[in-house]
Amino acid sequence: MRILVQYKGQLRTALKCGEEEIELPDGGTVASLLSKLSERHSHVATQHLLTTNGRTPTGLLTVVNDAAISSLQCSMVVLNTGDVVTLLPPIAGG
Amino acid sequence: MFPELTTDERLRYQWQLWIGDFGEEGQRWLKGATALVSRIGGVGGSAAMQLAAAGIGRLILAHAGNLRLDDLNRQLLMNTEGIGKPRVETATHTLRALNPNVEIETIAENISESNAAALVEKCDIVVSAAPLFSERLLLNREAVRQRKPLVDASMYELEGRLISVLPGQTACLACLYPEAPPHWKREFPVISPVSSTVGCLAAMEAIKLITGLGQPLAGKLLTFDLRDMTFQKIEIPRRTDCAECGEV
Repeated sequence: MRILVQYKGQLRTALKCGEEEIELPDGGTVASLLSKLSERHSHVATQHLLTTNGRTPTGLLTVVNDAAISSLQCSMVVLNTGDVVTLLPPIAGG
Repeated sequence: MFPELTTDERLRYQWQLWIGDFGEEGQRWLKGATALVSRIGGVGGSAAMQLAAAGIGRLILAHAGNLRLDDLNRQLLMNTEGIGKPRVETATHTLRALNPNVEIETIAENISESNAAALVEKCDIVVSAAPLFSERLLLNREAVRQRKPLVDASMYELEGRLISVLPGQTACLACLYPEAPPHWKREFPVISPVSSTVGCLAAMEAIKLITGLGQPLAGKLLTFDLRDMTFQKIEIPRRTDCAECGEV
């Protein structure tokens, strides 16, 4: 299945990319998506995607369509073809 | 009892008094309210300007330091003559020229452990727009503790985010950011239309919370990306284990 991933904030800056389509096996979860993205973008992974202990970084907001997914839910939320996953790192510009 | 409007104020605010569910009652609510604005840079300065134009009764502006040339691409309360002078001084002149009916109190300090409680105590609503998570989280903690509504407005590059916190009813900023993210830097890419947009939205949210106009975000995070003009509202659930609002 194909998932559209949108990158926001400093993640967009680091990847120089606003969005990309990712192919995941059927039954793939948010956690498996983040794991795949971490392999693909290993140079920014620990800061923006998955820390060394396999958790999402502090303040990263993961949104599937319009629903926020907590760090604990990542391995339970199964994705479907056409889902849009938006990754929003914390921002505080004022 | 909320203060009556003067003849001058009825004329000044005439065009917004035509808003059906705002009217004179909403204007009197606004006149009776005090907003604390943390930092009056690109975001907070725009919020303060909108609140002053709309006729809030009292503004408390907190921002340390003197104006620099590289502030002027976005800090619209400032001007070139103000370079080297305290930001709160120039901001006060600008706001008084815009609307002399607004009472303005300034503090040439940023939010800290030593002033947060006293400043929040003096206001009815908090508009939080500092460029550091430490200040935002501190203000959130005080607002939650004192049960005061807080509007947190932030931006980065062409993106903006807005959340309003109603202590005991909605998620708070610490539900979203349990601790200050370690990789955020105080200096960030910013262009004025983006910082001003989120500042204006913060002012509108504050006016709604003060007057009861419309439906506040309350519990939802508004995100926008002006690169492609997309706006999205995301439900943010309360965290039962939140250190700040979990037991409120």
